[in-house]
Amino acid sequence: MKPEKYVFWLVFAFFLVVTPIYYLMSREIAGTFVLGFAGLLGGMIAGYLTLTARTFDPRPEDRPDAEVIEAAGDVGFFAPKSMWPFWCALTLSVIFLGPALHQAWITFVGIGLGIWACSGWVLEFYRGDYKH
Amino acid sequence: MTSSAVEAPRNTAGKQFMKYLTTTDHKVIGNMYFVTSFIFFGIGGLLALAIRAELANPGMQFMNFETFNQFFTMHGTIMLLMFATPMFSGFANAILPLQLGAPDVAFPRLNGFAFWIYLFGSLMACAGFASPGGAASFGWFAYAPLSNAIHSPGIGHDLWIMGLYLLGLSSILGAVNFVATIITMRAPGLTMFRMPIFSWNILVTSLMILIAFPVLSAGLLVLEADRVLGSHVLDPATGGAILWQHLFWFFGHPEVYIIALPFFGIITEVLSTFSRKPVFGYYGLVFATLAIGVLSVSVWAHHMFVTGAVNLPFFSFMTFMIAVPTGVKYFNWIGTIWRGSLTLNTSMTFAIGFLTTFLFGGLTGIILAAPALDFPVSDTYFVVAHFHYVLFGTVVFAMFAGFYYWWPKFTGRMLNETWGKVHFWTLFVGFHVTFLVQHWLGVEGMQRRIADYGAWEGFTVLNQVSTFGAFLLGISMIPFLWNVWITRKTPKVTVNDPWGWGRSLEWATSCPPPRHNFTSLPRVRSNSPALDLARPELANDVNEVDPGELLDREMVEVEGAAK
Repeated sequence: MKPEKYVFWLVFAFFLVVTPIYYLMSREIAGTFVLGFAGLLGGMIAGYLTLTARTFDPRPEDRPDAEVIEAAGDVGFFAPKSMWPFWCALTLSVIFLGPALHQAWITFVGIGLGIWACSGWVLEFYRGDYKH
Repeated sequence: MTSSAVEAPRNTAGKQFMKYLTTTDHKVIGNMYFVTSFIFFGIGGLLALAIRAELANPGMQFMNFETFNQFFTMHGTIMLLMFATPMFSGFANAILPLQLGAPDVAFPRLNGFAFWIYLFGSLMACAGFASPGGAASFGWFAYAPLSNAIHSPGIGHDLWIMGLYLLGLSSILGAVNFVATIITMRAPGLTMFRMPIFSWNILVTSLMILIAFPVLSAGLLVLEADRVLGSHVLDPATGGAILWQHLFWFFGHPEVYIIALPFFGIITEVLSTFSRKPVFGYYGLVFATLAIGVLSVSVWAHHMFVTGAVNLPFFSFMTFMIAVPTGVKYFNWIGTIWRGSLTLNTSMTFAIGFLTTFLFGGLTGIILAAPALDFPVSDTYFVVAHFHYVLFGTVVFAMFAGFYYWWPKFTGRMLNETWGKVHFWTLFVGFHVTFLVQHWLGVEGMQRRIADYGAWEGFTVLNQVSTFGAFLLGISMIPFLWNVWITRKTPKVTVNDPWGWGRSLEWATSCPPPRHNFTSLPRVRSNSPALDLARPELANDVNEVDPGELLDREMVEVEGAAK
């Protein structure tokens, strides 16, 4: 996990240096905030990766001498196919069509559809608590 | 249900439709991105041709001013957000899991979701053309207060804003997916520093998307609140005009690199394969990419030099700084082809076309980074020429390099080389005829975004040259589409690597790959696992030292054998 976390620590460190310089040179607020938050974003992901990496030994993909067999087993669950991304995207578009057409009711229709679509997505592969 | 087996052959169109509607396969979604964004490329291109036709002569030919404004606004929006950015998602989807040795992306359903909101967001933004007032016409950067409800009434603008919000969301979710895929789904032994440069560039691009796009989304929501709910966040009375420019360009400048970096990655892969050499200065390229990634977030206000409201030394210095890692990249690209054994096929020709074109754009970028030089040419055709060299140079040249290179991976078939060469040369000549002269137009004082100019201003000849080039450029798409058409039923590629010198893992599986990509994973012991598998005799060659010496040594050995 080392290079992964250092990529994000680099983002954090860069903005840690650049943000104060920018503020002192320009005294401008909007840019200072976005730069600072960009750094915090990097720091947040870097911190998460650093803390998570403590809980396990280097994975096969972290070790240059790993064999393919070491990653044997389930990779994870991959939906073979799913209609729900389409419905969720459609309802999200309906929600944002409301402000675009200055019609609040369209947004409410979209939110209603969205409850159905989100439920469908979340529960698509749900078979009860103990059946997995 | 016994009859279903009999009816099945008749339902192929419907089944095909349902397959695309419900797919979670990264390769299929990648192809959907390619097709959709290429269609938007065509629409954006037609708008550009209409703009160029209008500008071919002084006086208004066939548009009115408002139509012209709509056309250049939608041309910019479509090309950046509905063509180039999704084209990145397309390449990342189609290639990234293959290069990592992964069965799919980390979140397949999220991937489908990102595609569908890209499609719906694009349709929403373009639906403005069907609205009573026409499409958005405030320019693709929607400066406040021009973009408020008083100066730009009409739902075409609102559709544009909300459509772009959805597009931004699509990019963000795609980026989350790619970062998670790179961090968690690499093949055993494929450490970060064994990843192909293309995958590295996808990582840095995704990181920049995560930094930049939320700012755009926030800005767009605020803009829409000002328009619809009557808030006054972007009111010029309280500095809202400059605030919008900050928010927009904090997204807008990284966006340029978001659509450049993945295509730099494609170029790196193509140059390496067709020079039969590993990437020269791999670590240098990785760190240059990371440096471009962070630096590009801190240069946004060089788009705002002429406002007089930004700190010139800071942004000028940072902008000059970003030329350094870009120069490192050029050094490494040239180092990669230096004394290599070059195959000048269509893909490689496009890569070299990219090197030439992007170099021009980079150099004019240095000019524009200096405020003293930027002030006289800001908002002229010089800037238009600059960013078309940068963006067309990277996105379109590298996209076609990637298409010709990975076409067997996408479709299982090869594109025709002869038509590819015709395609390249018409595109290359058409592009340079269109945009080279625009530098001079800009220096002579022709402003960007004007629908008309006077006959006495002396812009006519160069504009006509430019328009001729634009139509040649438009025609250059025909050989490509013809190429795709005539090769649709050519014999399938039966080997993993039809080029013979592919290095990364996508060349260690069939063309096109099976549903979950690999029937067996090769052992990864270097940056070139596929080449190690295909040509184990080369695995111990120390070609990092000096490939030129290696070449000499081989020549001596060959001569010695002849004696």
